[in-house]
Parts: sequence; C-alpha cells; structure tokens
Amino acid sequence: MHKIWAIVRREFVERVRTRWFWIGALLGPVLFGAVFFLSGQLGRGGGLKRIAIVDGTTTQLGARIAEQLGRSGDWAIRVPAAIGVVDSLTAQVRAKQLDGFLIVTDAALDSGKVEYRGSNVFAGKGALQRPVGEALTVVRLQRAGVDPRLVARASIPLRLETCKISRGTTCGESAAQSFSLAYFMGIILYTAILLYGINVMSSVLEEKTTRIVEVLVSSLRPFQLLLGKVLGVGAVSIFQFLIWGVAGRLLLARRAPLAGGGDAGGAGADELFQVPHVTGATFAVFMAYFLGGFFLYSAMFAAVGAMSSTEQEARQAQQPVAWMLVLSFISMFAMLNDPGSTVAVTLSLIPFSSPVAMPVRWAAGSLPASELALSLAILVATIGGVTWIAARIYRVGILMTGKRPNLKELVRWIRTA
Amino acid sequence: MMSPAPAPSPTPILVLDRVRKTFAGHIAVDDLSLAVPPGVIYGLLGPNGAGKTTTIRMIMDILQPDAGSVRLFGAPAGDRMYAERIGYLPEERGLYRKMRVLDVLVFLGEMRGMERRRARQRAGEWLDRLGLAQWRLRRIDELSKGMQQKVQFISTILHEPALVVLDEAFAGLDPVNAQVMKDTVLELRARGATILFSTHIMEQAEKLCEHVCIIARGRKLVDGPLGDIKRTRGGHHLVVGFDGSVGAAAQVFADAALVKKVDDYGQYAEVELAPGADPQRVLRDLVGSGARLARFELREPSLLKIFIDLVGPEAAQAGVRPDA
Repeated sequence: MHKIWAIVRREFVERVRTRWFWIGALLGPVLFGAVFFLSGQLGRGGGLKRIAIVDGTTTQLGARIAEQLGRSGDWAIRVPAAIGVVDSLTAQVRAKQLDGFLIVTDAALDSGKVEYRGSNVFAGKGALQRPVGEALTVVRLQRAGVDPRLVARASIPLRLETCKISRGTTCGESAAQSFSLAYFMGIILYTAILLYGINVMSSVLEEKTTRIVEVLVSSLRPFQLLLGKVLGVGAVSIFQFLIWGVAGRLLLARRAPLAGGGDAGGAGADELFQVPHVTGATFAVFMAYFLGGFFLYSAMFAAVGAMSSTEQEARQAQQPVAWMLVLSFISMFAMLNDPGSTVAVTLSLIPFSSPVAMPVRWAAGSLPASELALSLAILVATIGGVTWIAARIYRVGILMTGKRPNLKELVRWIRTA
Repeated sequence: MMSPAPAPSPTPILVLDRVRKTFAGHIAVDDLSLAVPPGVIYGLLGPNGAGKTTTIRMIMDILQPDAGSVRLFGAPAGDRMYAERIGYLPEERGLYRKMRVLDVLVFLGEMRGMERRRARQRAGEWLDRLGLAQWRLRRIDELSKGMQQKVQFISTILHEPALVVLDEAFAGLDPVNAQVMKDTVLELRARGATILFSTHIMEQAEKLCEHVCIIARGRKLVDGPLGDIKRTRGGHHLVVGFDGSVGAAAQVFADAALVKKVDDYGQYAEVELAPGADPQRVLRDLVGSGARLARFELREPSLLKIFIDLVGPEAAQAGVRPDA
C-alpha cells in the first residue's frame, strides 16, 4: 500500500512540476475566455460602430434608417448631405476613420436592395441585416398609411425563452445553456481522456525504455504499479479540472465586461454561450463518465505503451485506440442536434464512446434514468474486462524488448501471463 | 574477521531447487539448483544466453518458475515478500531522466520499503560519499553517464539489503566506477551482506568471488567454493622456465604418460599434466634430461581455463567478449 502510494505521488508530483502542466492549466481558462469574448464580439458585429449612410432616395429613407438603428443600438451614424461622397467615404474606410457605409436608393423600398461597403463585410452583414430590415419594414408600413403607434407595437422584437424540462427541476437550464454545457462537456471529456490516457502510455513507455521497470517490478506487482500510475495521472487530471473550475468561475463572474456589453447585437454571446447552470447531478454524470472513460482508455493506452519499445512504435500502435475516441467526439455534433436519435442512444451505450456520448446527451436533453444506469453498468463491466486484458499485456510487455508483438503473440501473452 | 572454523553449514540465504523456466518452447533455465551461503560473494557465471538473467529474474520474483522453488532467507519466497531485504541492480539500467537525483533515490528507497525521511537522509550520505553532493537537486539527464551509474548503484544499496543481486555488475562501468563498485561490494560483504553477482567476465569473478556457479544453456556445470573447484577441476598445471630455450626438455614433454598438453612460449612453457601424472616425476625427468631450468612452479588453473574447459571454446568465446 505504501509503495502504491509512492507511485501515485511520484506520477502526480513529477507531472504537476512540469511547465506544461501549468501552461495547460492557464491556457484552458484563457481559451474558454476567448470563446466567450470572440462570440461576444461576433454577435455585436465585431465592434462595428461608425458607419455612414449615403442617402440617394427622395424620401429621406436614410435618415429613418439612421433613426431606427439609433433605437436598436449604440451606433455613430452620419448621413452626409452630398451624393458624390462615395469616394471620400471609401477613403475614410481605408484610413479606418469609418467602419463602412450604407448606400440606400429608392429601389430599397421595393426590392429591398441596400448596399453596404466596409472593411469587414461579414460583421457588417451580421450586424445590419436585422435593424436595417426592420427600418425598411417600418417605413414601408408608414408609407402605406399605417398608424405609427401600431407599427411600433407590431415591431416589438421576439424574446423566445426556452426551458429544459428535466428531472427534479422544471426550468433548470435554457436551450443556450444546455447547448453550451453539452458542447463544453464534450470537448473537455474528449480532450482530457485522450490527453491523460496518452500520459499514462508515455509513463509506461518511459519506465520500459529506461528499464527502470525491472527494479520496480521486483518491488511490487505489475498490477500495483499500473494501478498507482493510473491513479496518479488521474489525480493530475482532477487537479487540472479544479484549477479550470476555479479559474472558470472567476472568468464567468466577469463575463459581461469581457463579452462587451451583451445584447446590443442581438444573437450574441449571451444567446449562444450562456453560463451553464451545472447541477449536482450533471456534475456527477460528468465525473462518473470522465473517470470511467479515463480508466478504460488509460488501461488500453498502458497496454499499447507496454507492447511498444520506442516512442514511434507507440505513436503508431495507439492510433486504433485514439480513433475510437475521436469518432465518439465527432459524433457529438450529431448528438447535439438530436440527442434522442438511434445513433445517439447506441453511441451512449457502447462503452468506448459512452464516456463522451452519454454526458453530451445528458446535458443536451433529458434521458431516462434506466438508460443512464445501463450505460454505466456496461462501462464498468467493460473497464473490468479491458483492465484484466491490459494488465496481462502490460505484465508481459514491460519486460519484453525487440519488435512489437503481432496479434497471435498478444493472445499468447494474455493467455500465459 | 570471521573465524575460518567451518561452521556446520549455515542456512543458505538463497536456495534454488530444480528451477526451470521455458519461453515459447525454448528452455532458458533447466532444473537449476544452487545454494548461496550467507556472507559470501557468489558468482553466477556463464556465457551470454546461459540463463543468468532469467535465473536472477526468478530470484527477484519478476518471473515465476515453471517448476522448482526459490527459497530466500530460509523460507519459501514469493510475492516479493523479501523485496525490502534485497538490493537489485539489473543488467540493463536506467533512471527517470527528468527527475531530480535526490527524488529518484528517495522514490526507489520507498519502493524498497524505506520511510521517506530515512531514504532522504541515507541518499544524502551516499551522494556525499561518492562525490555527488552538489548534484542532488539536478535532473538525472544533466548528469554524465558515470554519475548516473553511481546514482543507480546507490539506489541498489540505499536500504542496506542483506542480499545484493548484481546482474552483470561491471558491464558498461568506466574504470573509476568499477573501482568504486568493487570497493563498495567488498565493504557490504564486510558488513555481513551476501552478494550474488552474475558475469561472463571470468577475470572479475576470479578476483571477487568465493563461491561460484557456472551455467551454460540453462544447466549447471559446476558449483561450490572457488578453491575447491580449482583443486578438483583444473588438473595439474606446471610453469617451467628455461635458461635459454626449451632444449632437452622437449623430450620429457613428449612423454604422453606424463604430459597432456604444452604451450611453449620460448622462455617458458605452460604444461598440463596427464591425468594421474606425478609432478615430482616430471621434475626428476627434466633434471635428468639435462635441460637448464630457471623456474619450476605448480600452478592452479585460472577460472577462465576451467570455464573454457567446461563450456567449450566456442561458447566461451561468446562469453568472454568483454564488450558484450
């Protein structure tokens, strides 16, 4: 017991001491922050603020659009008097004094055609589409003689509030929250299981190539060594999550200023990425599947490490293992769309994909408790079986040098170990 | 010093009883039995591929014998029960490259059941002693190969084991470290430890070992105290030196009843007597022949000679290659 503990501590301390661990620990939250920040910027039209409207109409349409835009957001709008200003405005855009300009002609009211010229037309389109469209509608209605007050009332924008019905709570998370929660959980699970599984593999390989394993295995059983290693690396990953969790909390608390104000641009950060409300149950599901996935995959990665003699060999041999994980990650996007589909249900039952699939389904929509229990039971049983096989490969492999075993030899290892 | 009086066969530290190990149809160790008495330096000798490392791995519980048993400290061994009392230096060596010297030693001490504090203290003492004190916080990969060898050696004996198992102990050591190793081995023995070391280099074994066991192709050829083996195995050897050259002595050497083999080096000849031949008779005949003698010496055969006689020249060739 004392020895297993020493193995756990060595794996933990040596890993946490490295520069890479802290880079990862700091980079994680920075990346998440960047996602929030960027989506905020994107939703707001990427900081689109200063535009001009070239009014070529006979109906003062430009001024009305300006008025309408002014009502919907924080714009700096000029409506130049002269018509022949396109060239000088273009020059201003080039000089970055102006983000862009709209050219409105009489055709706009009939055909709906308005031209925007600017430095970032993608952001311009995103930011202007709706308010300009609304302005046109208002002008059209008014010209048709509709009471301006009625127009105002009719054009109150939609605020669709969504609410996920799940066990226990009636309104735990909004759709956006569900989406972002499922999305982030999928990414984190995939990344962490792959990253720390490969960590176990290289640790096995290091002990094998330096031959230090021979001294270790004369002090404790190979299985104890493997157990200590997996627990140690697992502890590092949980410590990493802890850092991310704390940093994430701090970041989310300052989310509003980071995302740059919020609702000005409409479909922005707040609607797509919201602070997920992580319930205790969700957290438990996440941790259960993370640990399950980590144990399952690290056992396989350990076996791969034990049967390889060099870093290159291991990189090749790990591909089938890694692909199983990549596949379940890719299928996550399909599952986000329809968490109840046959494919999604199947993937969340297969133990090699369930560690990513099931938490994603859980977060994206409610699912029957029986399915969750079945999936977990299959996962646990598979961990047992895979660990049994992997430990046998490990036990023989760590003492072997020379070429990688073929399938026949592997089967013999498993049988005779 | 221990008294030379023959204690009535003390309980051996290590006993192998008809131990056998097969790998995929190839017999690596074949019904090997041996007993290592306490407090000796015991040499497990054999050419490469003789089964030395496999034998040692079975002693260390790394491999399980297919048949036969291993007894350690007078009791049946198994499940690494005695790991705390055994120090093990494998043939192929290495340390965690990115770890600090002191941390590696403390960790490996813990693997041998030491308390952290005690391991740290002992490691510090040994590092001081072997001149590595200022390297204790450096990473292993910053050390020279020779220094790494010292660290590895310290890790083997940090926990003051009663039995030290050294597989090809001197292979790859630079001369300075070989000396350090030899001195330390002798010191450990003086403190009562038993040393089992394997080698294929007979000159080293001859200098250090009191007991030897020679194996080839997994089988034991001979074992026992080195002196006994030399007396019973070697036959009689003479070194005859001439004042001038071999001269008239040649006819004496040609007598097949007396002499089995002669290596004539000009100034002197090495003579292997025929079985049962009396060296005194050879001396009389030499004097009678009129040969001018400068030296007449009865000599024990070298361990290398015994080894070659036992395992055959080809196998021994493979074995004595010092770089292997």
